[in-house]
Amino acid sequence: MKIEETIQSFLSEVGILGEFVPYVTRFIFPVLAILIFFRCLLPLMSGGRRTKPWAYLTIAGGDARPLTHWENSIGRSPSCDVVINIPSISRIHAVVTRRSNKWTISDLNSTGGVTINGEAAIGQCLISRYDDVKLAGLPISIVPVTEEFDDEYEDKFEEKRLFERLAENAARIAARFGAGTTLLLIILFQILGGLTLVVLAAGSEISLKIPFVFLLYVLLELVYFAGTRFAGRKYIEPELLAFFLSGISLFVCASTNPEAMVKQFVAVLLGLVLLLVLQFFLKYPERARGARYVFAGGALLLLAANLLLATAQNGALNWIRIGSLSLQPSELVKVAFIFAGGATLDRLLSSRNFMKFMIFSGGCILALVIMRDFGGAMIFFITFVVITFMRSGDIKKLSLLIGMAVAGAAIVVSFLPYITARFSVWRHAWEFSDTTGYQQVRTMIYAASGGLFGVGPGDGALRYVAAADTDLVFGLLAEEWGLLVALVCALVPLALAVFAFLSVKSSRSAFYAIVACGAATLFLVQASLNIFGSFDLLPLTGVTLPFVSNGGSSMLSCWGLIACIKSIDERHRAQSLPYEDENDYEEDDYE
Amino acid sequence: MKLMGKRAGILFILCVLFAVGMIFLLFTYIKDAPKWAAAPFNQHLYRSGELVRAGQILDANGKVLVSTIENERVYNSDESTRAALMHLVGDPKRGVATSLQVTYRNKLVGWNYLNGIYHFGGGIGNNIQTTVDADLARATYAALGGRRGTACVMNYKTGDLLCMVSSPSFDPANVPDIEGDPEKYDGVYINRLLSASYTPGSIFKLVTAAAAIDNLPGVQSREFVCEGSYDLLGQEITCPSVHGRQNFAETMANSCNIAYARMASELGPETMTAYAGKAGVMSGQDLDGIGVANGHFSLTGAAPGDVGWAGVGQYDTLINPLSYLEFVAAIANGGSAVTPHIIDSIKTPNGFPARFAIDLPIHENVLSGSTAGTLRQIMRAAVVNNYGEGNLAGYGLSAKSGTAEVADGKEPHSWFCGFLDDETAPLAFIVIVENGGAGKDAAANVARTVLEAAVGK
Repeated sequence: MKIEETIQSFLSEVGILGEFVPYVTRFIFPVLAILIFFRCLLPLMSGGRRTKPWAYLTIAGGDARPLTHWENSIGRSPSCDVVINIPSISRIHAVVTRRSNKWTISDLNSTGGVTINGEAAIGQCLISRYDDVKLAGLPISIVPVTEEFDDEYEDKFEEKRLFERLAENAARIAARFGAGTTLLLIILFQILGGLTLVVLAAGSEISLKIPFVFLLYVLLELVYFAGTRFAGRKYIEPELLAFFLSGISLFVCASTNPEAMVKQFVAVLLGLVLLLVLQFFLKYPERARGARYVFAGGALLLLAANLLLATAQNGALNWIRIGSLSLQPSELVKVAFIFAGGATLDRLLSSRNFMKFMIFSGGCILALVIMRDFGGAMIFFITFVVITFMRSGDIKKLSLLIGMAVAGAAIVVSFLPYITARFSVWRHAWEFSDTTGYQQVRTMIYAASGGLFGVGPGDGALRYVAAADTDLVFGLLAEEWGLLVALVCALVPLALAVFAFLSVKSSRSAFYAIVACGAATLFLVQASLNIFGSFDLLPLTGVTLPFVSNGGSSMLSCWGLIACIKSIDERHRAQSLPYEDENDYEEDDYE
Repeated sequence: MKLMGKRAGILFILCVLFAVGMIFLLFTYIKDAPKWAAAPFNQHLYRSGELVRAGQILDANGKVLVSTIENERVYNSDESTRAALMHLVGDPKRGVATSLQVTYRNKLVGWNYLNGIYHFGGGIGNNIQTTVDADLARATYAALGGRRGTACVMNYKTGDLLCMVSSPSFDPANVPDIEGDPEKYDGVYINRLLSASYTPGSIFKLVTAAAAIDNLPGVQSREFVCEGSYDLLGQEITCPSVHGRQNFAETMANSCNIAYARMASELGPETMTAYAGKAGVMSGQDLDGIGVANGHFSLTGAAPGDVGWAGVGQYDTLINPLSYLEFVAAIANGGSAVTPHIIDSIKTPNGFPARFAIDLPIHENVLSGSTAGTLRQIMRAAVVNNYGEGNLAGYGLSAKSGTAEVADGKEPHSWFCGFLDDETAPLAFIVIVENGGAGKDAAANVARTVLEAAVGK
């Protein structure tokens, strides 16, 4: 291996000079991390969401109401998007849905019914402005906006509130943040990080795996970016954040277990493939709805297989081993779980298929409890609560459910000594610093040892503690990279969640709203349990920090969840005018 | 979709909860990070619970008391110096809670919020220069000769502690089997100067005298008669010998219990408590942030005779040696008390200051200048007429002894405190030898030896 020797000797030469590299880079890392975070955050938070109407709904030939959403409910209830206060109209009467530049209407089991050209509408029916549509005898029609109308609206109807003006200003700044430059900053972070790792390791044996994997990773990022450019896709900030965090997970691997780097890289690659596949399924709500059954079935099969073939790892039975490959099915089930929860507005308001989701989630959570993956069960449960609330809006039913779950959990906890022990150490880690509080105490000690700028990648002491690369990874980052970089990593799930929250109303379908909010909930709860658990603010449950923790299954599922979050993003359609929409809709998709 | 927008509020609540959690985590970090980083489990700094990576501790002359050489904590090369300064520097197992290696560990290891324990250029922390003189400490430790007690010398103009020795001690470089000999190492981890409180005995008469000078008109020209025993409001006050007729100054030299019990009784509980407070008996001031034990002085519910006993330093009064030394130093310094300190400077390995220099407060008028002057005279007279100057003639040795009766029929504690009334050697001192007998013997001998070493005789 002539080349290898050359590189080795070159690196050892560099090593002498390299002693000074960390002096500089340790200050560059937090600056870059914060820069990258804000360059992604601002476009995510700022406008680009459509507030102008797509069309007008005229009632009895007179009164014109703007249709500003893709899915609009019509009824007497003030919670409807179009309120028609006539006694013959039901509280929630119908839903009109925009698909491409066509409109459909669905009757929500209303008393008065919906007729199209005199015939009762069953299911989702395509309507044009020339159709004679009646809601309980009340004629309505949908008039698409014209170019002039669109311009007029600007001055006539739009009252800009302070918040909207702020969002607009942010958007103006954000517009200057090219995704390409942000990606370059991410790559710079990774190259500098890799360099520092190699330099700090210099003197001892240098693993060539580190520069090699980083080279491949940077290539992957460039290829993905080129792909999105080629496909004309803008708004790739969620992926950029995911790339940034996944890169950090490679650093975590390099520091704790360089052998795992290749596996982690492959997981990111597979994650990207999963992202693209899911984006295909998520392209139309109807297609996604159909795919749900496949995903849910697959999820239940995976969990069943897990229960049969499980091998215990760190107390939980949530691993399947196939040869040298170990898999954590509960991670993959997350994506299916989210999918299963989605529903379009018309379906959701006629409250069909609700029991199926309840039974499915109950099964998933029960399986996790049997596997003794209580952190996982907790994550699923809270996500279940969020999805159920978004589907039903029923606070009473939900409080009852939560009460039952808490009581059930209390019974389970009191019967399992393994869990009781975890609760007894909670908030008392320092009293058990050599037994059950060992990991939490080490996390605190070493996180504090890092200060704001860290002791240097690969130079920490927490990495010798069990699960430092997974459950305690926030502490590991705080020690080696400094508190600032660790905080940026912790804030990414929050940024994605706020983005999902802000985008709900402008999403193309309630389906996407639910899927994205569900995915965001998973990220948030996982990050909370991981970070707060390792600092003894919550019981340590052993869950991963999204994207950052070492673990293939977890990485894969995180990229899948990014597809869910991206599905809510309609910014690329927001600017396009309703009458010149891209013709990407296939008619047979809603049969 | 308006409805979905509303229902998505549940996600917003989760976002807020997460943000609140992160803020709480940050607050916890800011509050506790210094404690976390200094935990002895920290493998960056400790090995098997022993501090291995930290800066040096130096004496006033730059002599290295402890340093880290190649990941080993190396103490001073002289065994008795090591033992003499063990309570100041600290021991490997961090037994002495008031030692610098415990209380100043974050400064020693160079931890801060910005850089954590990271050091540029392979540094290992900050160096602490103390005000103590290693040779003086060694002489003091030898003078105590293994007896339990403590001795301290302080510059009453600057507040520098030149000497702080607590006995028994041990060699931190070769830690003996302490648990195997509980008799010999009784309370060995306690720095008796900082963490102990004792019955003061007659040295407390300085407080009573100060109160009397200020509050009993004409007391300095009064004549006090001592017949060996006196009935003070139903309680018998005794003196070891019959002192006969004495003037005010002679009562101090004779350490006449009857005279001071009567003065205390005339002054009353309130004035006595106020002056005990002035003397810092009840609450000790920190020494460079290192906690100092509180004393005790309370006359609530005390019988009239008890007030008299309190005036001669018995009853249930307790004083901390360092706090009382501050009072003695105030007498020496014309009534104003300087704040004692033991750390001169903390510097990075490159010599940059690692802590902001703050001017320590001077408590003006603890006593009025004239009261302090009077006390100085009678303390000087006590040395000339009673205790003797030894080899210290010419330095204006002024002092008060104390023989504090203790329970259990043991020998009384032996106290000696005072100062050199000398511009070139402005030193105040306090010595206690536990169960050492009469103050003017055991403690006074130690004090004279220490002072001789301090002035270079």
